[in-house]
Amino acid sequence: MLGYYLRLAWLSLKRTPAITLLMIGAIALGIGATTTTLTVYHRMSTNPIAQRNDVLRAVTLDNWSADRPWDTDHPDNAPAELTYRDALAIAQGAPASRLVVMRKTSLTAEPGAGRPPFLVVVRLATHDFFPMFDVPFAYGAGWDGKADRDGEPVAVLSKETNGKLFGGENSVGKIVRLDGREYRVIGVLADWQPTPKFYDLNNGEYDTPEDLFLPFALGATLELQPAGNVNCWKPETLAGLRDLFGSECIWHQLWAELRTPAEVERFQSYIDGYVAEQKKLGRFPRRINNRLYTVDEWLARHEVVGRDSRVLLVVSFAFLAVCVLNVVGLLLSRFLGAAGATAIRRALGASRGEIFRQHLVEVGLVGALAGIGGLALGAVGLTALQQLYSSYDRLTQLDLSMTLAAIALAVLAGLLAGLYPAWRICRVQPAGYLKTQ
Amino acid sequence: MEIRPILSALLRNRTGALLVGLQVAITLAVIANAFFIIASRLEKIRRPTGIDTPNLIFAESEGYAPDYEHAATLSSDLALLKGIAGVVAVTSTNSVPLSGGGSANNYHATPDPKAAPIAGNYFEVNADFIDAYGLTLVAGRAFRAEEFTPVPANNDLPPVLILTETMAKTAFGAEPALGKRLYDENGKSGEVIGIVSDMQGSWLGNTRPGPQDLVFHPNGGFGKTWRYVIRVRPGERDRLLPQIEKALNGSGHGRAIIWVRPHEYWLTRTFRADRRMVVFLSTLVILMTAVTALGIIGLATFQVNARRKQIGTRRALGARRADIVRYFQLENGLLGAGGVVIGALLAYAASGWLTNAFQMPPLPPLYVLASALALLALGQLAVLWPARRAGAIDPAVATRTV
Repeated sequence: MLGYYLRLAWLSLKRTPAITLLMIGAIALGIGATTTTLTVYHRMSTNPIAQRNDVLRAVTLDNWSADRPWDTDHPDNAPAELTYRDALAIAQGAPASRLVVMRKTSLTAEPGAGRPPFLVVVRLATHDFFPMFDVPFAYGAGWDGKADRDGEPVAVLSKETNGKLFGGENSVGKIVRLDGREYRVIGVLADWQPTPKFYDLNNGEYDTPEDLFLPFALGATLELQPAGNVNCWKPETLAGLRDLFGSECIWHQLWAELRTPAEVERFQSYIDGYVAEQKKLGRFPRRINNRLYTVDEWLARHEVVGRDSRVLLVVSFAFLAVCVLNVVGLLLSRFLGAAGATAIRRALGASRGEIFRQHLVEVGLVGALAGIGGLALGAVGLTALQQLYSSYDRLTQLDLSMTLAAIALAVLAGLLAGLYPAWRICRVQPAGYLKTQ
Repeated sequence: MEIRPILSALLRNRTGALLVGLQVAITLAVIANAFFIIASRLEKIRRPTGIDTPNLIFAESEGYAPDYEHAATLSSDLALLKGIAGVVAVTSTNSVPLSGGGSANNYHATPDPKAAPIAGNYFEVNADFIDAYGLTLVAGRAFRAEEFTPVPANNDLPPVLILTETMAKTAFGAEPALGKRLYDENGKSGEVIGIVSDMQGSWLGNTRPGPQDLVFHPNGGFGKTWRYVIRVRPGERDRLLPQIEKALNGSGHGRAIIWVRPHEYWLTRTFRADRRMVVFLSTLVILMTAVTALGIIGLATFQVNARRKQIGTRRALGARRADIVRYFQLENGLLGAGGVVIGALLAYAASGWLTNAFQMPPLPPLYVLASALALLALGQLAVLWPARRAGAIDPAVATRTV
């Protein structure tokens, strides 16, 4: 029966090629637009470390001015970063399965052999950075707690930096020169592009990870300049970088790995106790407001899905709605226009159900063709967008889940557009039509 | 012509009319808001930078060698750059205008640190900055060469300051700013010795400090980084850029030249999201309007075909072609009017969402009105072809089968 319906549908669609193309085109355009915006939205809002979402916590302490909150739009939010002394004190004393304190700096790499020196963006981090964030290694491994304590001059390179310095080969054990000092390479990362860059959303949320990783302690011993945001609230005279370490300026990120609710509770009461102690010393002028965020909560707090993407998503769905309404109108006039033929089929014994199914098959055919067209248009839209996003090209790759979503959307749109017209036509009274023949 | 028969005919094909009316309504709601967003983005992109953007090159130098000399590198670089034929003026600068990165400070118009702070976006520059950026001195004087401190001892305010016109108004209102003092939160102060024409600062769309609230400090900063603004003669930028890069790279000093770029590089980056929004929204607006117009044509064609006999009868009874055409135009006008009224409500609902969720300014009525008129005109245009075809129906043929 399906074959017969398909043949009827095909014949019917062929009879009015202009309207058929218009219907397919309208749904395809709507699907193309929504696929494009959905992909960008999906990519932006995806939690890149969902598998560890429940155990990772971003740590914030409300160390800001008594006169005004850190974020006047969200006065309950504590600053996203910490001072050097607080980050260090908590890293040393807090009860957590794992903990990482980190910040950004930049150094100049000298590749030697007459090649010009170039800038590398560096993450100074404690050793738990790599296991906590599931960072994949191509060669070697990260450093250990001893290297952190002693400030050993060891380095982990990103895949790209290893390519630039050593042509991509296994460089573990080799020496890299940074700002005139020598560091021993102990690890090289495999391709690692967490999007968004969840572990530090303050300094370019869609940036690629740093070029090179060094033990955190080196930042203080070598007085490495900050390369990320430094925010200060307290009037303090700062003479050079040394003063920044003792200041109330915030420029460090802190994450804890807490595996059980009990661990979370213990950690929370530890940092609350820490701030209470500091208050006795005249620090932390605001009320105690220390918060722990899972990665999902952290992404939501930073509103990483830009406003524009959300507006575009809504607009594209409005567009799809217009397209569907349009097709409902077209189908209705098509079906009712051919009501005479339907009346004959009814008179010859076709039941209402059969008429309904026959028209739904026609609608389904339109929907399927439109889905294919929509996917093609979506791919075109994303390619066009890629030029508009440039450095964010990872945001504009059509993936499997989005392809499936587009197909589902097309079928849904087709059904929405077709159900009412198919229902209307199967309720046609054959007698009225047959009389005028 | 009477409206009543048209209305009753429309009511007979309620579904078709409702569908087209809804399309018009949704389209209006979207395009009114989209036009408003597009217009505000375009205004932002086209806002003048206040500086000589087409002829500016920026460069960054970062010291790395153990024997790197920060202050000495600066004076040598300035001499080197000024010596290149085609270079008009050079200054060091801590940040690049409109790059999204920069420094801000809380200033006070009185020594009292409890007074409400005045946020200012500060630029650390040397004595030649007015020429190098391509600004004009509005009042007072420029920095003198000896007032520039390459490496300041601490973060205290320098003794002399220059403000933009906007910053002078922000800090001192209608009073003349020249000769007044600005204080920092440590109680240190600097005298305002000059006022320069406005330029866009580090951040666009900021409120505290505002985008043109700039304070110029005659000093360099801590650390090993220098950035330069190099203004060249008109039309020479692309020729000089590689030459400047080569000269800086070849001059040694134990530092790396991180980048040498035209100012437009940052403008492109800063406005990328806005351009994207303009392109994407315009595309959707065009497609949506086209689909709606096709919907109107489709419905009208269906109505014409369904009413061939009635039209033939009317023609036979003396209606002229123009009457038939006008009938369909009026019908479309009624439909459009209904759609536009609902659409205007939807447009304000959407605008309310945008205001609530994204703190966007409310939609000005002009955009709704203009979009509504445009949609009504489009409807008339779209219906013209099917209406003409209706007018062309031959009464003899159309009534023959009755």
